[in-house]
Amino acid sequence: MQVVDTFGRFVERYGETDSRKARRLLKTGWEMQRMRLQLRPEQRLFASDKFQARLMMDAMLYPLKHPDESALVSVFTPCELLQEVGLHPYNVEGFSCYLSASHAERGFLQHAEGEGISETLCSYHKTFLGAAQRGVLPKPRCIVYTNLACDANLVTFRRLSELYGVPAFAIDVPMQQNEANVAYVADTLRQMSEFLQKHTGKTVDEDRLRKRLRRSKRTLENFQSFQRARADRYIPSDLVTPLYSGMTLNLLLGTPEEEQYTQMLLDDVENAPAAQGKRLYWMHTIPFWSEAVREQLCFRKEAQIVGCELAQVCEPDFDPEKPYEAMAKRMVYHALNGTVSRRIEAGIRHAKEAGADGAVWFCHWGCKHTLGSARLAKKKFEEQGLPLLILDGDGCDRSHGGEGQTATRLGAFLEMIGGAVNE
Amino acid sequence: MNDQVYYVCKYTPVELLKAFGAECVHLNAMPKNFEFAEQLAHPNLCGFGKALLEAVMSGSVRRLVLVNCCDTIRSVYDVLQDSGKLDFLYLVDMLHSDTLCSRERTAVQLKGLAKAYGEFCHTEFDAEKFRNAFAAPERVRGPHLAVLGARMGTELFEMVQTTMPLPVENASCVNHRSVGEVQPPAEADFDVLMEWYAGELLRQVPCMRMMDYTGRKQLYNDPDLKGIIYHTVKFCDFYSFEYAQLKQHAAVPLLKIESDYTVQSSGQLLTRLEAFAESIAPVSCERGEKRMGKGYYAGIDSGSTSTDVVILDQNREIVTGIILPTGAGAAIGAERALEEALSDAGLHRDDLDAIVTTGYGRTAIEDGDKSITEITCHARGTHYLDPNVRTVVDIGGQDSKVIRLDETGAVINFVMNDKCAAGTGRFLEMMAKTMEMDLDEMSVTGLNYKEDITISSMCTVFAESEVVSLIAQNKASDDIVHGLNKAVAAKTAALVKRVGGEETYMMTGGVSKNKGLVKTLEEKLGTALVISDRAQLCGALGAALFAADMA
Repeated sequence: MQVVDTFGRFVERYGETDSRKARRLLKTGWEMQRMRLQLRPEQRLFASDKFQARLMMDAMLYPLKHPDESALVSVFTPCELLQEVGLHPYNVEGFSCYLSASHAERGFLQHAEGEGISETLCSYHKTFLGAAQRGVLPKPRCIVYTNLACDANLVTFRRLSELYGVPAFAIDVPMQQNEANVAYVADTLRQMSEFLQKHTGKTVDEDRLRKRLRRSKRTLENFQSFQRARADRYIPSDLVTPLYSGMTLNLLLGTPEEEQYTQMLLDDVENAPAAQGKRLYWMHTIPFWSEAVREQLCFRKEAQIVGCELAQVCEPDFDPEKPYEAMAKRMVYHALNGTVSRRIEAGIRHAKEAGADGAVWFCHWGCKHTLGSARLAKKKFEEQGLPLLILDGDGCDRSHGGEGQTATRLGAFLEMIGGAVNE
Repeated sequence: MNDQVYYVCKYTPVELLKAFGAECVHLNAMPKNFEFAEQLAHPNLCGFGKALLEAVMSGSVRRLVLVNCCDTIRSVYDVLQDSGKLDFLYLVDMLHSDTLCSRERTAVQLKGLAKAYGEFCHTEFDAEKFRNAFAAPERVRGPHLAVLGARMGTELFEMVQTTMPLPVENASCVNHRSVGEVQPPAEADFDVLMEWYAGELLRQVPCMRMMDYTGRKQLYNDPDLKGIIYHTVKFCDFYSFEYAQLKQHAAVPLLKIESDYTVQSSGQLLTRLEAFAESIAPVSCERGEKRMGKGYYAGIDSGSTSTDVVILDQNREIVTGIILPTGAGAAIGAERALEEALSDAGLHRDDLDAIVTTGYGRTAIEDGDKSITEITCHARGTHYLDPNVRTVVDIGGQDSKVIRLDETGAVINFVMNDKCAAGTGRFLEMMAKTMEMDLDEMSVTGLNYKEDITISSMCTVFAESEVVSLIAQNKASDDIVHGLNKAVAAKTAALVKRVGGEETYMMTGGVSKNKGLVKTLEEKLGTALVISDRAQLCGALGAALFAADMA
């Protein structure tokens, strides 16, 4: 831990004086971590999750190495079109997570706040903004984002576009679920395709895109099957694996590697031992850095996270033969779009499918949608027989922790709910 | 029963609702507290969201039309829908761009609202009422100030109007609605009217939720604009982005204030508003009745912990400076301190030509000829002590502020901390208590640190728990105190950055006695801080100088 602390401190320090040096250091550190994942992976994880950890690390390293072949995206941007023009997703939320994991977030957060950015803005946005303003994170080829699920995207990505001086494309997703809105978003995605072709000089081949969408559909179906199959199985997990699924199933959806990951999950679940311990379904992001959460849920047979909302935001019920409509449908019918009752219903359904004994509604500091609907979610989950813990904290910024309180709340909740241990 | 239809956003199709006979009211009142709202929603929801919940749950609103302005309003809609407290609740799904396609989608939304409201109140669309609803909006003409940023509650805006020396235009968030500047086309049917109306709604000066907000420039490029009061609401982030850019380019004086949308928070902003008003219209030192003294002038600074008095002679030389605890009340404390100062100087009350009061308790003191904010007085006093100073860092018990001054000692810009102990003397006081040491001990403890510890929380409660856990880990007191000093220094440096700090720096306030913090802050700012032994008298000194101006 001390090594990471020192590493983070140097990244922050160089960030103030020599941004290129800070970036080089960051890249070197992450490359070493990639090597460790290859040579000495976490042995308690199943093969699928070891594979995924490497996928995720590669996804982070690529934009640092090849920023000109990367497009800055928000997490729920459909990335199949990017893949078709040879662009790699350069994800704001993911980078902030990794900066936080590298203990390098504090200086960037403070820098963004010093520039006048609100202290209550989501720390994923603020960390990235601070690091970009410092010049530590490289300039992408272009930016593609959506207001879907998070309205802070509207301001953050616009600011990043001005800061980097690169073109940006926004996908405006209406709230209501109907075919007219799907058609509207499909038209926007066609414009996005033109935007990407213009800025890369490459062509989007619709047949290849269909093939990719077929793969996306199979990938989501595989993951859905896995989540259902895990209901009576014990899959060892740390705190980042469910988050990685949330990232890769959005950002890498459509790639052969992501499909391979979900196939590996299906293989692993078949050989997994019977379920044991208390099982939690997690809504929103996971504070992976929190010692209090780690002590109670990381590789513990007594209690574990059996699914994360971010990995199950859309259904595989789209028609890949109409690729633009398929991606549009995923966005319009996305679990976090529209009224919160849709999000809550999806959470309840997925929690039950994964055999959860209870759920955690994680009020990530600054996430207005999650904060606003927390009490309503508690009522609805509990009406459906799923106890729900509203847990305040931050997925990225350690200063919003309150570790003592987190330990007490989570501990008491685990004592309260049922699960195999109590049977 | 209340039949009024309430709305909260400038994109609300008010004219359409009026076409169905609705009386539309802009809901903008600031509640006293969030008693009902916090039963239903998380405390970290933005204050306006909670104000909206409070208004509905207290029963004063029965019909409400919302727009999907932001994630907070989306959530509030969900909570209200579940509450069943409203007779009519509708959320208009307004897109974030003004294109042909988004106009079409907006027209569909308008028709949806028309259908729902028509069915609810059993009325039909009346084209004449629709046309009559379009009235040109009134704007402030001539030299004026503007409130920009997030929506400002009615009570706070009234306070701004009362405090400012010029007329104030409210161009924040929901205000500055421009629908009505153009009349609807004649002889058009309902569908055509709705398509036209969608365009009118979307072509307004954009709010920050819109994808293209370049049109907002017209709000601050008006040649008649003499100053901007930039308002943000706690937990509403949209406008901080505009503020971050505006503070670098604004051609007119800019004041940033933040409220949590309660009446109480407005009261706390009064000092900032008054100081801003003083910086726009320099303090006039004229007065009606003139005392016939002997050429002595007094300044009284009534602070939360101490009351300071300075008396100057006609050559503006300090005759005496007194610091006493404020005690139970500002007026009594001031009276006591003034008597003590007079006695120290061997003077009588009649020898004074003028008295100026400043500080939190300034308006409670009846003796003064004038009252001026501590920000303006502080700047003036600092300039007297050291004319080279351009930035004052003042960390007191209750608040911290950074003031930028020009070569004459006038305020160019200032910032204050939020309504929170973070970064103030109180924060250090609490931490000293946790570490079972007094402030003098704390002042020198951090100087010889070995391990560079980072305290990540600035929230006093969370930081206290971090400190407790560091103590449990047997970390050295020097290291912990240095970590705390770093946290306060980072917070202070952020304020310095916001105000555009320039050398020479002077540090004032009780915390300037903390050697460890001063050293850490000097390292953070990369420059030395001037500490005057008379720094604590700065406010009273400035007030006395203003009193001398009245001669």
